[in-house]
Amino acid sequence: MSASRSTSLAVSINATLADLMEQRPEMLLLGEDVGRLGGVFRVTRGLRDRFGADRVRDSLLAESTIVGQAVGMAMSGLVPVCEIQFDGFTYPAVNQLVTQASRIGDRWNGQVRPSLVVRIPTGGGIRGVEHHSESNEALFARVPGISVACPSTGEDADQILRYAVTIGSPVVVYEPIRLYWRRNTPARDPQPARSATAARIVRRGADLTIVTYGAVTNEVLEAAGALATEVDAEVVDLRWVAPLDLETILESVARTGRLLIVHEGSRDVGIGAEIAASVAERGFDLLRGPVRRLAPERRPYPPADFEKDYLIGVEQITAEILGMTK
Amino acid sequence: MLRHMLVARGIDEEAGQLQKQGAIDLWLSCQGHEAAQVGSALAVGPAPTVFPSYREHAVALLRGVAPDELVAQWAGRTFCGWDPRRLRFFPYTLVLAAQTLHGVGYSIGQRLQGREDFVVVYIGDGATSEGDMSEAMNLAAVEAASVLFICQNNGWAISKPAGEQMHTSVADRARGFGIESVRITGQDPEAVFAVCARAAAHVRERQAPFLVEIQVERIHGHSTSDAQELYRSPDDIERARATDPVTAYAARLSGLGLVDADWFHLVGAEIRDLRERLIKEFAG
Repeated sequence: MSASRSTSLAVSINATLADLMEQRPEMLLLGEDVGRLGGVFRVTRGLRDRFGADRVRDSLLAESTIVGQAVGMAMSGLVPVCEIQFDGFTYPAVNQLVTQASRIGDRWNGQVRPSLVVRIPTGGGIRGVEHHSESNEALFARVPGISVACPSTGEDADQILRYAVTIGSPVVVYEPIRLYWRRNTPARDPQPARSATAARIVRRGADLTIVTYGAVTNEVLEAAGALATEVDAEVVDLRWVAPLDLETILESVARTGRLLIVHEGSRDVGIGAEIAASVAERGFDLLRGPVRRLAPERRPYPPADFEKDYLIGVEQITAEILGMTK
Repeated sequence: MLRHMLVARGIDEEAGQLQKQGAIDLWLSCQGHEAAQVGSALAVGPAPTVFPSYREHAVALLRGVAPDELVAQWAGRTFCGWDPRRLRFFPYTLVLAAQTLHGVGYSIGQRLQGREDFVVVYIGDGATSEGDMSEAMNLAAVEAASVLFICQNNGWAISKPAGEQMHTSVADRARGFGIESVRITGQDPEAVFAVCARAAAHVRERQAPFLVEIQVERIHGHSTSDAQELYRSPDDIERARATDPVTAYAARLSGLGLVDADWFHLVGAEIRDLRERLIKEFAG
């Protein structure tokens, strides 16, 4: 099957951040080790040398401090783009994000519209130690006032980041760690998304809609490609889990009549549940069979030796597609 | 200063009354804190941006928040009734100590943009137990942020006495973070003014944070939903009332002949008018 060698996610995000910093003097980067080291994944490599230590700020090792001061900086008119080092270290910042960043606009009666971005490396498959492989995007998707993006390509990350720094409300961007430096990924339909906030149909098909996002989008595309002679699957990469682009999902389900949702975050009370419920409410008569979800069961991310059992792999997706279409 | 203290007392009493009548939902009294608030707010002047907690009503009024704007959020009308930007008095933050990090971040942001970076952060003793307060003190210290922390220590985190909240003073804790600090009593607004003026000068001249811990007495419960009689001895409540900074300062200035009956009459009329307007707005 065809594969594309494109610029890696990390290189693409680095270039986008550099370009935005060039264009927008009010923007700054803030996070643990983002300056001298260039971030633990080197996503911000070279930016401190280029833009100076005032604008590429090595923060204290305290996540509440990172987001809390970013809220104050946003009140002063700056546009802070924060980095949390790993998904599993987000929790100390949750209070500042949920009770403060998301509510500042309303509390100020619209007088302050904080453009504040929090980038979070996410997901497993990297043999990470405890807390280094998690997927907690559903946590923030529930919070009114916070938008949550999950790009899976450099091109999407570029479009999302450019949009995120302009909208006047906080955006959490989940960047899949295992895609940062991966260059061989399954080919995608080249048609761009309808807008910066829209989902993207990355594979056209007629038999089944698979809605997914994040790193596992590649496994879904591999499975769909492997079954291409038997099943013609359409793959929707959501790109945003909050707000959800239900229109694109419903239009796709209207064409295929079947819906499978695949994600790496655990299944219960997850993004898939919201999609399944929304499609049941608004598109029940479009469906030819039950909506199915494929996501890890509700348990902590395991030690690295066992992560293959936890993650959703190509074989499981393939089996699920066949089960739904036979 | 006495006029500001009397106005704050009058508005506070009226808001408490309105809450009892069911005209507003909740009120957090600042009675007992007036000298600390008025003295500190006048000492720093109008230039700094204030990040209050939620009990800084005397500071709010002094900064130009109208009484009805102050009360609006406690009557369920809004999350913030005033114009924070114009008054440089930012919205009340009800999640304890969250505003401390905002204040430090704002000061850093202002400095980066070459603008006035002097920030005053108000906090109560109870909220200093929150991690954000420790994080904010450390951040302010390492960033040499122009932040004056003013901790009004009224001895109670709702029902938990200060002795059970900390084994050191807040001022001592600040010094542990490398922030210079001082601890004073908060009954005399002139003493508070003098200390806070020196603290403000320190922040401006050294471009470094400072913390003033002001010991005050909480005359009423934490809020109108709080029955402090359940956990506080009658003697202790009586002692707090006996040290009322407003009546003490009024008596002192009267004794010195600096204010007379005519002055009290004029200010009293002004306060009655403000109270009547509050009644009309919320109970009318």
